[in-house]
Amino acid sequence: MGGKVTCTLGEVKNRADFIIYWGGNPAECHPRHFSKYTLTQKGKFVPEGRKGRTMVLVDIRETMSAKAADIFLQIRPGKDFEVVTTLRALVKSQPVNRERVAETGVTVEQLQDIVDRMKRARFGVIFFGMGLSMTRGKHMNSAGILNLAAEMNAFTKFVCMPMRGHGNVTGADVVLRWTTGYPFGVSLSRGYPRFNPGEFSTVDLLVRGDNDAALILGADPGATMPQPAIDHLGRIPTIVLDPKVTHTSRLARVHITTAVTGVSATGTVYRMDEIPLPLRPALQSPYPSDEEVIKRISRAVAAKPSWIPAPQSATTAFA
Amino acid sequence: MSLTIVKHATCTFCGCVCDDMELHADGVRIVKAKNACSLGDAHFKYHTAEHLYPDALINGKPATVDAAVEAAADFLYKANMPLVYGLSNVTCEAQRGAVALAEMIGGVVDSHTSL
Repeated sequence: MGGKVTCTLGEVKNRADFIIYWGGNPAECHPRHFSKYTLTQKGKFVPEGRKGRTMVLVDIRETMSAKAADIFLQIRPGKDFEVVTTLRALVKSQPVNRERVAETGVTVEQLQDIVDRMKRARFGVIFFGMGLSMTRGKHMNSAGILNLAAEMNAFTKFVCMPMRGHGNVTGADVVLRWTTGYPFGVSLSRGYPRFNPGEFSTVDLLVRGDNDAALILGADPGATMPQPAIDHLGRIPTIVLDPKVTHTSRLARVHITTAVTGVSATGTVYRMDEIPLPLRPALQSPYPSDEEVIKRISRAVAAKPSWIPAPQSATTAFA
Repeated sequence: MSLTIVKHATCTFCGCVCDDMELHADGVRIVKAKNACSLGDAHFKYHTAEHLYPDALINGKPATVDAAVEAAADFLYKANMPLVYGLSNVTCEAQRGAVALAEMIGGVVDSHTSL
């Protein structure tokens, strides 16, 4: 996500007067997003709170979140890329083809109205969910919407932020970035990090049958992944660390029960705007934390001889 | 039994990571999660400090954590292309450890982001 034009949720609360949610349903999936960060709070530069903000929802169906929106754009499934691209053209006052825009389910007038409002905003923000980033076009949709936010800065302040689902998935991006230089799908099989989504992304690896062992922690791919990927996890030695016995545990060779992050295990977690927050667990678990188990496995592996051949200089090799 | 009250606790259910929870716990379970939304409330009340599951399983049979750690280390060490996947519902400290382990075993490390 290098080059992403973004900000913190605190800035959204205090400054944003124009908010777009795209391909997400915060009313049901992030219930406090509106009330704690974006819509209803009174901000330093938005003293009227909800009245001082305009909210647009772009989605393929009218979800619960549409009730909170001032403007709801219902687009046809799989047309996100076309709508983003049309908006980018209109922002730059480029001509667009009316018939082809109409195929997306919205009219040029509707989109021109959104663009005019975006340009009039003092501080605009686009939140995008998996309805944008995981449908037809995938990462090209994300790139398009990030560019739209970046290009809007020729007219006014505009930022963009993905709506992250699972608790600390943002932390996974951040930790992988500062340790390996890449956000996800990193191969260390040559002893140095290599990044190539499609080659080193989990579903692709498992469907091709590339892996000969798997360590799963903080996830339940046995319940969520495509069947061929799950089948491969059942063929190879799979190790699961989880607070409960999951679908993946049932097909795994080894399962270790761990404490629940945030409830009985402490540590640090990143919010979706990449703000790290400390955990304050209220219970004491009878199980060890994920961190502790990982350290113990690492110590057990470290006790074995290294798989990387010892370095040999040219002179000793040929001596 | 008196309740322990933890103020400014952090909820890790969704990406909002709200840090204004007030948790009332009786030592075994959280009985009240003030400020939590419906999802967070269910999350805090569902997870207890009870010993509901075996410490570890090897081939589906209860085992000690020590034996399971050894077995896990063996499998990962012997593999040519091990995968370390998930990392979403664990702390940054555990994620850091997982990356170090992936480097040690020469594997691939990946999260939900790639889905």
